Amino acid sequence: MASIALNLKTFVGLRQASPENNPITALAKPSSTTTAARKQLRINAAKTSPKVTGRNLRVAVVGGGPAGGSAAETLAKGGIETFLIERKLDNCKPCGGAIPLCMVGEFDLPLDIIDRRVTKMKMISPSNVAVDIGQTLKPHEYIGMVRREVLDAFLRDRAATAGATLINGLFLKMEMPSSKTAPYRLHYTDYNAKTGVSGGKKTLEVDAVIGADGANSRIAKSINAGDYEYAIAFQERVKIPDEKMKYYEDLAEMYVGDDVSPDFYGWVFPKCDHVAVGTGTVTHKPDIKKFQLATRLRARDKIAGGKIIRVEAHPIPEHPRPRRLLDRAALVGDAAGYVTKCSGEGIYFAAKSGRMCAEAIVEGSENGKRMVEEGDLRKYLEKWDKTYWPTYKVLDVLQKLFYRSNPAREAFVEMCADEYVQKMTFDSYLYKKVAPGNPIEDLKLAVNTIGSLVRANALRREMDKLSV
Amino acid sequence: MSIALFSSPPATHLPSPSSPHSTAKTQLALRHFISLRPKKQPPFWVFAENGAGSTSTAAIVEEDKPAAAEEKVSEDKKEESLGSNGSVAVDATAAPAPVTAFQDPRWIGGTWDLTQFQKDGKTDWDAVIDAEARRRKWLQDNPESSNNDNPIVFDTSIIPWWAWIKRYHLPEAELLNGRAAMIGFIMAYLVDSLTGVGLVDQMGNFFCKTLLFVAVVGVLVIRKNEDIETVKRLLEESTFYDKQWQATWQDETSSSSMKD
Repeated sequence: MASIALNLKTFVGLRQASPENNPITALAKPSSTTTAARKQLRINAAKTSPKVTGRNLRVAVVGGGPAGGSAAETLAKGGIETFLIERKLDNCKPCGGAIPLCMVGEFDLPLDIIDRRVTKMKMISPSNVAVDIGQTLKPHEYIGMVRREVLDAFLRDRAATAGATLINGLFLKMEMPSSKTAPYRLHYTDYNAKTGVSGGKKTLEVDAVIGADGANSRIAKSINAGDYEYAIAFQERVKIPDEKMKYYEDLAEMYVGDDVSPDFYGWVFPKCDHVAVGTGTVTHKPDIKKFQLATRLRARDKIAGGKIIRVEAHPIPEHPRPRRLLDRAALVGDAAGYVTKCSGEGIYFAAKSGRMCAEAIVEGSENGKRMVEEGDLRKYLEKWDKTYWPTYKVLDVLQKLFYRSNPAREAFVEMCADEYVQKMTFDSYLYKKVAPGNPIEDLKLAVNTIGSLVRANALRREMDKLSV
Repeated sequence: MSIALFSSPPATHLPSPSSPHSTAKTQLALRHFISLRPKKQPPFWVFAENGAGSTSTAAIVEEDKPAAAEEKVSEDKKEESLGSNGSVAVDATAAPAPVTAFQDPRWIGGTWDLTQFQKDGKTDWDAVIDAEARRRKWLQDNPESSNNDNPIVFDTSIIPWWAWIKRYHLPEAELLNGRAAMIGFIMAYLVDSLTGVGLVDQMGNFFCKTLLFVAVVGVLVIRKNEDIETVKRLLEESTFYDKQWQATWQDETSSSSMKD
């Protein structure tokens, strides 16, 4: 207990470096300044709101990634006039690229956009103890590895087919509405504008906005959503020789250790014809190159002879923004900060949140016949928090428990060797439901976890004695 | 060999009580240990000579006597356990020789070969724990590539639970029980002298029972001065993520209450 408490101290000490109270104080600030601007905030159903005459409800979705694409598709199918604004239609978004099995079913993804099916994972501890997880997977279960450009294009095109207007342009800024029924005015640069040199600056008036523009969301800035802490994920695409690639045919690796990352993990994920070797961190961003070198060292024998074909980095939000919704503008996906801790998974949650928000708008507006209100969009937040809060919380607890020090990581890898753990992990990852599980097994698991942690910490105390 | 005998008894006692404390205290305790031994350097060096004939193949490498002490060491960084735990091992920085992978004759096939840890016909679990700690320390300072041909499959749960308890839990339990006993005695005496209520009657009183409970929990939870801060932060940290998620709802309730 004391050693765990000691470890806790260092973890919180690390956190002190980042503005701990920023989300809460940032929240206090905007609400005081914008209450004047915000006129109405009733949480009633939109049945009392006026009918939209002569036209359907207009909604703009800013950002054409998984969140934007699925939101636009759901809106368009619901009979709403949808505008999907995306600045780079062939964007090769740097990303882990892993999607859970349930996403294929829920979003009707064709199987050919999945490059690889990962059915085995290897977890490697700081002292290189390697554990194979995935032995409990059934033959039809896998983690899909996709190329973001392929997935995003598919979802966007499907939205366009359903009736959404795809605009290739860059969102600049948004004017808030002057009344409950007044429109939002979005200013953007249209890249396909026929007006050539004038820059293609255009304005779009819509009744509601969905901000799906990612970690550096401009919509979030417009609604004063506040900031979040984020991790930097740094990744190198490495083309390795064919015999080595065979090893990674359906296997992904996770390396944990202080050398690889103080609060995250390093990975080797197989892509279509190469592997992505990367790592990430929240608290030690300036040292990311050092962590990347350490990751490459740990995987050295397996990626020897490889050539780096691309280097990329991207931010990963750590928690939701303090404000995810303002009036009739809502955030979804990375813009809202819906990335899980511990695994850093975001694609599925982005797509699901886009869909959920769109469904709330469709329902609240009765398929585009009525104006929506903040209350309708709040229903999306309610549903989202209720459905996925347990998943996020469990992963947060896992991260706090197992990513804080090398002994904890050793214990983590030891625990992963247990079949029950593997089954529970994959069930909850693949189907996004925190499965209740067998109480006796859970008790055994708890006892084993404590045992592993105690042993690993005891060994660490021995190690400290050696270093004196 | 007599030097080995001389060095083992102090080695077993001193480091273990200091293990729950912070490294600063450990260093203090070990410095005491060093001062007990009149001359630190020669015994180690001489022992290295003696150790040439022993079963152990490792030798202590010291910073100021690299050449003599490592004449039979192929690796440039090894620590030695003097047959039991907690010897003073000096952490040597790497000599000019290149850093090689972790090697130990008892480390076979990615795990510790328990047959080589036999002592009096039974496995010497303390030595296994020491060996694993050394391996992890080595890897921490010299990270290695993970290799598919030599996978590491060692699991610490092969070391039986009673070996861990005997080595780590019992000393600390002794300490905590000692503290609790001292506090209990003093408090019982004080309460008796102030109120005249004897020990048996104190136990019947609800307030005294509460004090007893607080004292026991306090001794268990607060083992170092820093733990007080840690416990306070623990509560805040466990709910921090929840607060981040609920921030958007505070927005709603505060503004809607303003509208009312």
